[in-house]
Amino acid sequence: MHLTPEEQATGRRNFLRAVAGVPVLAGLGAASLARGPIAGGPVRIGYIGVGGEGRVLLGGTDPAYAHVVAMADINPAQLALADAVLEKGGHGKATHYAEWREMIQKEALEGIVIATPLWMHTEITIACLEAGLHVLCEKMMAWDIEGCERMRATARRTGKVLEIGYQRNYNTVYQAAHEGIVKAGVLGDVFMARLAWHRNGNWRRTGDPPAANYDPSKWGYPTWEHLLNWRLYKKYSRGLLAELASHQVNVSNWFFQAEPEAVIGTGGIYRFKDGREVDDHIYATFEYPGGRSAVFSTVESNAFERNYEVFYGTRGTLLLQGESEAYLFEEGAATPAAARPTGVEVQPKAGGPALSASESRAADAAGRAATGSAAGVNLDRLAAYRAEVSGFCSAVRTGAPLLCGPDRAIGSAIACITAVDAVAGKTRLPIRVGAAAQS
Amino acid sequence: MLVDRRTLLTRGPTPPRTSSPAADVWLRVHRAAMACRFEVLLSGEDRRHTAAAHDALREADRLDAAWSIYRDDSAVSILNRDAADAPVRVEAELFALLARAADLWRRTDGAFDVTTTPLSRCWGFVAREGRVPADTEIEAARAVAGLHHLTLDAAARTVHFRVRGVELNLGAIGKGAAVDAIAARLARRGVRHALVSAAGSSARAIGGRDGGFAVDVTSPLVDRPLARLRLRGGALGTSGIGVQSIVRDGRRFGHVIDPRTGWPATGVVSATVIAADAATADALSTAMLIGGPALAERYCAAHPDTLVILTTEDRRTVRFGASRAALVEALCT
Repeated sequence: MHLTPEEQATGRRNFLRAVAGVPVLAGLGAASLARGPIAGGPVRIGYIGVGGEGRVLLGGTDPAYAHVVAMADINPAQLALADAVLEKGGHGKATHYAEWREMIQKEALEGIVIATPLWMHTEITIACLEAGLHVLCEKMMAWDIEGCERMRATARRTGKVLEIGYQRNYNTVYQAAHEGIVKAGVLGDVFMARLAWHRNGNWRRTGDPPAANYDPSKWGYPTWEHLLNWRLYKKYSRGLLAELASHQVNVSNWFFQAEPEAVIGTGGIYRFKDGREVDDHIYATFEYPGGRSAVFSTVESNAFERNYEVFYGTRGTLLLQGESEAYLFEEGAATPAAARPTGVEVQPKAGGPALSASESRAADAAGRAATGSAAGVNLDRLAAYRAEVSGFCSAVRTGAPLLCGPDRAIGSAIACITAVDAVAGKTRLPIRVGAAAQS
Repeated sequence: MLVDRRTLLTRGPTPPRTSSPAADVWLRVHRAAMACRFEVLLSGEDRRHTAAAHDALREADRLDAAWSIYRDDSAVSILNRDAADAPVRVEAELFALLARAADLWRRTDGAFDVTTTPLSRCWGFVAREGRVPADTEIEAARAVAGLHHLTLDAAARTVHFRVRGVELNLGAIGKGAAVDAIAARLARRGVRHALVSAAGSSARAIGGRDGGFAVDVTSPLVDRPLARLRLRGGALGTSGIGVQSIVRDGRRFGHVIDPRTGWPATGVVSATVIAADAATADALSTAMLIGGPALAERYCAAHPDTLVILTTEDRRTVRFGASRAALVEALCT
C-alpha cells in the first residue's frame, strides 16, 4: 500500500499513541521514530544555555535533523565556544543572543533546547511552550516539585512536545538491557538496585569572567563565582542528587516500572568546607513498591567505583557501567565456569569492521580489542545524545511521544527533590505517590 | 515570527531518510570460554535478542566442559586416558565431531590432524617455550601422532587408540564447532541476523544485513589488513603462525606443526577459509596453513563453494576458489 508522508506520519503517530501507555514498548517507539523528520526539512531550533552540557547536546545535533538558528547565553565566552562546536558539526552560523526572551521573540523557531542552570528550567520552559515552541530541557526537570508540575501542565495545555534530557533512555546499551534482560525475566525477581556515582574531586570550576567588568548580577548571580559554580549554591542547584542521582533514579524507575514511595537519606559537606552549600557526600535509599529498594551513593572523595547501576535479581545480576558497558552474572551457578559474566558492549558501526579476524587471540586480548578505546566509549555516549536530539526533532514533526516526556521525567525529579530534604534532615520521607500517573 | 506546521511541512528540502540510531551500533554479547572470548554480534535494531544471545553462549561453557584437555573429567581427557586400553563409548556430539575431524584429515591429505599434541610438546609449544628438538624426539612423537591410529566405530559409538601415547586435542576444530552450536541455538530462537565468533579466529554468520558482515582478515605479523570481505550466511576460520613462534638461524618457526613431517609449517603466515560451517572452516584454516597453496588449489578444485585466502612469507595475499557466503572486497597483495 502506498502512503503519503502525511499518512505515514499519522499512522505512525496513531500506532505510537496506542502503544504509548505500554511501557515495554518505549524502546520500540524510539527505534521506529527516530528516522528523521519526515518532511519539511530540518527543524529550526534555538539553544538556551551553551555551557558544557549545552555544547555536548550541540555536538550531538545532526544537521539533517536540526537547523540551529540561534543561541542564547548570558556568557559571551560560551557562545564563542559553541560557534566552534557548530562549525565542527557542519552547521551554518547561528545568531547570538544574551537574552533568551529576545531570541524566542525575534527568531522563527520551532524547538528549543534548554541547558541552563537548574533554577531557570521552569521559567524558560513555560515561556517557550507558551510561545508555541517545542522544548527539550536538560535534566533535572525543575528545581522544585511545583515547577515540574507547572511544566507538565503547560506542555499538556499547549500540546507541545516537552522532553527531559535523560540520555540513558536513548542509549542502546540500556535499551538492550531493558528489553533483552530485564523485560525478558533473565534476572528473576529484583529486590535491590545499587546506584553509585563516585568521584574524587571538588566539583568546583575555575575560570576567568569573559571580561574584567563582566557583571552577571542582573541575571540573578551576585558574582562571577555564583554563575561559574552555580551547582554549589542551593538557590540555583539541588546538588548531586539533581545532577547525578536523577539520571540513575530515572533508570531504576524505568527498569522497576515503578516510582519510589519513600526515601531515607543522610549526607553532608564532609570534605570540601569551602563555602559551598550543597553536600559532597550523599547516601539515599529509595523504597519502591513490592519491597524493592534502590540504594544510591555519591562521594567526592574516592573515584574507585566510578558510576554504575546494578540490579540484583534472584536469578542474575545486571551491571550497567559508565553508560557504555553492561554485564550479566548468573546467580547460583552450578560451576565456577557458569558464574562467569556475559557482557554486553555497544560500539558504533562506523568504528570499523564487524569482526577483525586473525589467528586465535587469548581471552584478555580479544576483550580489549572488542571493548575499544576510550574514544569508542565517548562515541557511544555521544550516540545517545545524538539520538536524543534527533528524536526530539522527529517528535516535533510527527507529534509522536518521546522516551522521556514529563510523565516519566517527573518521577525521578520528585524522588530526588524529596531526597534533598531527606538528606538534609537525615530522615525518611514519603515521596508523593503516583506523581507520574496523574493525568 | 512563528511558522505554522503546514507551512513547514510543505517547504524546504526533505532531509535524507536515515536509519534509526539503534541501527548505527553493534551490540557485542560476550562470554569467556575455551580460554578465549566468544561473542554474538547483533545490530542495534536486534537488541531484543540479547537474552537469546546470552542463553546461546552457554553452549560454549557446555562444550568446553566436554572437550577441554585442561580438565581431568572432560570426555576428551577420559579418552586420552583410557582409549588405548579399550574402546570408549562417547556422546553422539563428540563422536560426530571426531568423525568430521577424521573426514577432514582424509580430505586434506593428513594436513589437518587432531592428534599432533605430542609433536607440539616436543617443540616446546605446549609449555610455551619453543625449542628445536633432536631428530630422535621428533620421530618418537611422530610415531604416536596421526589419525590413522584411531578406530571410530559408528555403530557402537566408540573410540579406540590403536597405539599407546595418542593424544586428542580439539583445539583446531572445537572453537568452530562451538560457534556452530551457538549459531544453531540462536537460529532456533528466531534470530535472523547475527555474527557468532570465538577468539577472533572462528566465525559464523546468521544472515547479515546490507550484503553481509564486514570482516577484516588481519595478522599480528602484518600491520595492515590482509583482506576485507563480507560474510553472509557462511563461516570463516583463520589460522596463523604469528603469536607463538621460535626463530632459529634466521628462520621463523610457527607453533603449527605439519604432522606429515613433524616440523613446523612454513611458507604461509596466515590462512583464512570460508566454508559452510565454522568447524570445517576452523579445521581447514589450520590445514591450509600447513598445506599451503598446493593444498588450497587442490582442495578448492575438489570442493566447490570453498574460499581460501593465504598470505605467504613474502607478504603476498592470494585467493583460491570462491564462496557464495563471502564477497571479497579487497585483497592486500
